[in-house]
This record gives sequence, C-alpha cells and structure tokens, in this order.
Amino acid sequence: MHIFLPDAPGPSGVGVVKRAGLFGRGAAPVAAATAVAADRLADFGYLQPREVYLDAACQSLRPQPVIDAVNAYYTSYNACGGRVKYAWGKRVDEEVAATRTAVLARLGLSARSHAVSFTLNTTYGINLLLQQLPQGRFGRVVTSHAEHNSVFLPTMTAAKRLGVPRLVLDRAPDGALVYDPAQLERAIVVVNAASNIDGSTLTNLTDLVRETHARGGIVILDAAQAMAHEHALLRGTGADAICFSAHKMYGASLGVVVTRLELLRSLEIGFVGGGMVTDVREDSFDLVTDDPGALLEPGLQAWGEIIALGRALDWLGHVRPGGLAPHEHIESLSGRLFDGLSAIPGLVVLNHAASPVISVYAPKQDSHRLAVFLSQQQIMVRSGYFCAHHELKERLGLPPLLRFSLGLHSTSAGIDRAHDALARLLKGLS
Amino acid sequence: MFCIAAFIVLLFMAAVSARYRKYLAKAWNCTFRRITFRPCDTTFKQDMKDHMLAPIAARRPGLVRPASIGLEVAAVLIILTTIWSGYEVVKSGVNLYVYGTCNKQDSASCSLGAEACSIPDQTPGFGDSLAAWDVVGAFGNEFASLGETFSAIPSRMQNWDATAYLPADATYLNPYDASKKTALEVIDPGCTYCLQLFNNIEKAGFGEKQNLSYISYPIQSATGYKFKNSLLVTEQLEALRLNPLEGATTPVDWAILKRIYTEKNDAGVSWQVSINSMEPADASALLQGWELEFGLSQAQADHVDQVAASDQVTQIIAANKKRVEESIHTVKIPTIIFDGRRHDGLVSVGDLG
Repeated sequence: MHIFLPDAPGPSGVGVVKRAGLFGRGAAPVAAATAVAADRLADFGYLQPREVYLDAACQSLRPQPVIDAVNAYYTSYNACGGRVKYAWGKRVDEEVAATRTAVLARLGLSARSHAVSFTLNTTYGINLLLQQLPQGRFGRVVTSHAEHNSVFLPTMTAAKRLGVPRLVLDRAPDGALVYDPAQLERAIVVVNAASNIDGSTLTNLTDLVRETHARGGIVILDAAQAMAHEHALLRGTGADAICFSAHKMYGASLGVVVTRLELLRSLEIGFVGGGMVTDVREDSFDLVTDDPGALLEPGLQAWGEIIALGRALDWLGHVRPGGLAPHEHIESLSGRLFDGLSAIPGLVVLNHAASPVISVYAPKQDSHRLAVFLSQQQIMVRSGYFCAHHELKERLGLPPLLRFSLGLHSTSAGIDRAHDALARLLKGLS
Repeated sequence: MFCIAAFIVLLFMAAVSARYRKYLAKAWNCTFRRITFRPCDTTFKQDMKDHMLAPIAARRPGLVRPASIGLEVAAVLIILTTIWSGYEVVKSGVNLYVYGTCNKQDSASCSLGAEACSIPDQTPGFGDSLAAWDVVGAFGNEFASLGETFSAIPSRMQNWDATAYLPADATYLNPYDASKKTALEVIDPGCTYCLQLFNNIEKAGFGEKQNLSYISYPIQSATGYKFKNSLLVTEQLEALRLNPLEGATTPVDWAILKRIYTEKNDAGVSWQVSINSMEPADASALLQGWELEFGLSQAQADHVDQVAASDQVTQIIAANKKRVEESIHTVKIPTIIFDGRRHDGLVSVGDLG
C-alpha cells in the first residue's frame, strides 16, 4: 500500500531560512522542513525532513518496499539461484524468473525474442556486448557526442578491437540522432535513449532502428536515464539490446541487459564462468542453449538485487503519487524545476525544455562550490561533468555544471527550497 | 599557499584524530606539487575552502568573499609562522648543542640547558631591530648570529684541553701536581651559579683530583657589569696572581674566591651577595682587609691595589675576555673544562666526581 500525503502549503516562503545572527540557530527551518516532508511519498519516509535529494540521475532513492525485499532475501531465504534443490533456492529461482518477466513486460517485449541478463551496471552491460561482438560482421561503430562515458569509451575500444572506424554524430536539440542513412551501413549504433545531461530523449529511435537494420546494422541503447520515467519510448522497441541500471529506477545496485536472441547467439563469448555451461571437459565446454540470457551472466549473480528489481518494477507499476502516474508526477515537478531555475538571474540553463534532468551553471561561480554550499543546507545536487566530459568540457567548452535530477521521492516543496537556496546563494555571492 | 597551510594544520590534527588522516595524504600530494613548482591540485584546495565556507554561505552568502580572502591570509600567516617556528627549532637546537643553551642571547632563559648566568648578547634582537624599522639589520644580525653558531660547531666536537686556555699567570686551588689533569673554570665572582659550582667542586673533592685553575670573567651588561663589583674583584684577583704570596699553601686569590663563595658575613649573608650590593670603595676595603688576614703585609696589599688599577691588569682582563669569547666560545658562566669536554653552566657533584 502506498500512502501519498496531501500537499503542504504553497511554496511561498518555503525554504527561506531566517536566523537571528550569522551563527544563530533559530526555529525557522523547522517550518520549511515540514513543508518539504509533507508531500513526500510515505515509501521514502526514511528521509530526514530537511533533506532534499536531487541526484536521482546518478542513483534513485529506493522506496521502502524495495529495501524490504532486499532485507527479506538476506534474512529469509538467502540462497544461490539456478543450482540448488532446497526450498530457499527454489524461491530465489521463482523470484528471479519473475523479475526477468517483469523487465520484459515493462519494455513490452517477449521472451521468445529477447533475453534478460543481469550484470553490474549499464557500463558493464554495454562493455559485455561490445567486447564480444563478432569480428568481420560490422563495418563501423556509430555513437553521438552527447554520450555518457559508459557509451563513449566502450565504443572507442570496440572500434579498435573490431578494426572498424568510429563515427561520432550530433544530437538535435530535441535529442534525435542526426545521421545520413548511409552512415548506418553495417553499423553498430550505440546511443543513449535519454541524456544524463539534460534528459532529452532519442526522439527518432524508431526510424533509427529501422534504417540501421535495413543496412545490416544493430542498435544498442543506453537506457540508464530512460527506464525510470521514459520507458514508454522503449516499449516494443526493435533495438537489438537495451542496457540499463536498476539503481536508477528505484531498484538495488544492478545492471540489466535485454538482448535480442539473434544478437545474443551471434556473440563471440569471451567472458565465461559458472552458470553458463552445460558441460565442461579438459579443453572445452558447452554453453547453455535453453537460457540465452545466461550467456552474459558468468558466475554467481546478485540474487537479492535481482529480486529487489522485481519489487521496484512492481512498485513503479502501482505507485500513484498525488493520484498521478509516475511519469505525470515527474513531468509536473520537472516543469516546476525548469521554470524556477530559468528565472534565477545569472544562471545558464542547458536544457531546451523541462526534463527530470536539468543542468545549469553560473558563469561567475564554481559549480562544485555551489554544490558544497547547497549541501550545507542539506540540498544534494551533482556538480561536474557527469561523465560526459567530451560533450561538455571538450566540445562545448563549458565549466563544471550543476545538475538537478528528480525522482518519485521529490516534492514541490523540496524543489522550491532548492531553487530559493540557489537564488539566495547566487545573489549573495555576486 | 592554502594547500601547504592545510597540510601543516592537518599534520597536527591527524596526529590526534584518524578522521583527518585521509585528508592528510591529499594535502601532502598538493603540497608536494606546490613545493616542486608544479600546479597544485586545485580540487583539494577548493574542496577544503568550500567546506570551510559552507556554513557562512548558508547564512550570509555575502560574507563568503571576505571570508575566502581571510582564509588565504590565514594560510599565508600559518606558513610564515611555521617556517619561522621551524627555523627557531633548528636554531635553538644548534645553540643548545654548541653553547648549552637554546637562547644564545639570554642563556639563563633556556630551561633546557644547565643553570648559569648568561652572557648577554649586546646585538639587537630580531624583534628589537624590526621595532626600530631596521629590517636589513634584523635579518643581517639574525643570520650573522646563526652563521657564528654553525661555525662554532667544530669547536664543540673538539677534544677540550684546559691547558690550552690557561692564562699565563694561572694559579691553582691546590698546589700544582704534574701527575694530575688540569681543569679550568670560567667564573664571575658575582654569579650565584659560580658559587654553587664551587660548592659542588668542594663536595666532589674535585680540587684534589685535578689541578683546578680559573679565568675570572666579569659579565658585562648594557649598562656596565651584570654584578657591579665583579670587575673590581677580578682586578684584585689578577693583581694577586701577579704578586703571589710566597709560602702560601692556597694562593691568596683562591682564598678570596673561596671566602666569597663559601662564607657568610656576621649578618649571615653570603659574602657574594654582600659584595654584589656593596659600594665599590667598601668592597675594595673589604678585599684589602682579607688580603691582610691571608698574610699580606700592608705594603704588599697597597701594592696589589696599585697593580689592580694598572694597565697591565686591564690588558690581562681584556685578553681573558677575548679568550673566553673567541676561543672558548661560551655564553654561559660558569663554564668548566675538564676530561676533554667543555661543560657550560652548573655541573653537578656527580658529574664532577
């Protein structure tokens, strides 16, 4: 059961900290803190009243049911999956299978055409695929400038390993990949479905997949930022692989790779280990044939985290913050955050439109310093280049940025408090 | 500057709390880059400053800039004071080794060395020179003094032979015995630690074990002499050495010293304390009376008085002063040379034994 408490009084005055003196400790923050906490989902009730976490793009907060699921695994049926006959192990197998099914269901895909593999994180998943693609089949690697290092770096090493050129393309302001169809000839296209800089989405995903396939290529998606709130974009996608992180969608720390079976079976498997073979001899082994997802799962898996992902997907399917669907709620908060930040004098907003991920910078202030100062007020935002150094630092020549990213734990009062604190800081520091 | 200052501060904080040790390595990395003239890791500097300024930013963002400047100024001050402290530690350590006192200018103020009467350095101190706006003089005198100390290190390590520093008219507490080693003490008749040393010498029977002689060195001060009758007594002692009383078992100059250091007047006050507070004429009369008591005739005593006021004695005292300051290199009175070593300050009975 998910409880959503009614909205607190409006944002006016919220977060305005009034104190008697420089080092005075008045009671004023209590009112603001109460407002921040009041409209928060009860599933995030463990947050302290004044804490405003705005770094969900790095790692979303886990709702209590997910935390409970991990705890339950460790305290009630802590068994290995896929290899034991006792009751605990059978329950693990059932839960893991349910999670694989839930992942496919969220993406609108079928187990007949796709397999779900679990790994460490998005970066690891992309590397697992790129480093095991067959030699000779592909003619180039294609990516974009606006990629996270989880895509940008593995495409470099993959192109080198495969001995093919690497093409780095632009993204349009709306997030679409700008390409000439001829550039997709036998291409391995690796791009994000949603940017971790400004949240812009790959709006021409369907066309990209179709045209890539038409030219003998494949599309691998970095869906780390998309799976939580933009998964509609990915439903029924024809992309050959979708990599994402459970920890960016309310699950425990875990990577997920959803792969078309054709691609999976074409891989030159190099990372091998227990759980992915049917037989082993002195100098050879047989890989599993009836469980293709296992081809990317060498060794023992993070069973508790996999089970927690299942619970997170279940939670996402049922939670109704303020009576709204999660994406509607996030959309509402995104607009509030975008409008608020855009109105702060001296602040440059990188986003062209509202998004759950908004990056900004103040030309006269160091973003790292601002992040530390905001942290002093228990407002947690990210500073730096967010693992997108090429785009932000090398290409656009920007200073380190501040990034605000929302999750279902976020509240309008929290956004207002962050906005007010930043505005006050910039005014005082100028 | 900031990361160097942070390293210095963290060095002390890390010594008492593990919480700060993780920052110490970062600070050292930054400091090492700075002192090797490479760009510092500004992330560390920025992180430290930002975390220190954050509480101010949360309450009065407008004060962040002046506070930041204040931190930089504080960093410079921390570095300067640390460098100065380090310099003082090295200087004091070398002074302690060479002169037996960590404060060469005022040796009695250093509790690390043996107790002694200090020979004040008449050169203006660093602070005094700065107060007089003599910056060049302040640094010049400071480094000249340091150079002098370092140049005296070899003399400290040498094998000290008392006979090399004996005055030509040296007398001995007990009759000279060629089979015994010679010891030489540098004393001021008015210095209380010389009194204590003499008493220790007597308790240890040191005078029977070694041929003990002395150089009387009246300590000068900015206004004259540290003990106002020390020069007068020294003149008398030198005159008596030039005119020894034949047949005396104990030379009269030694007999006078012994009385000053070991006996009291009728009021129960030590003769040393009494003489230190006497008018010179009274002190002179007292000493002449003692000379008569120790066997000199009136004519001999009058002659001794004349010799004491002569250029010859003045020259001897000047030569002794030069010997003490430039050859023996001591800044502490008493100083005693025996058994191949120079002992600055009061020496215990045990060490004399």
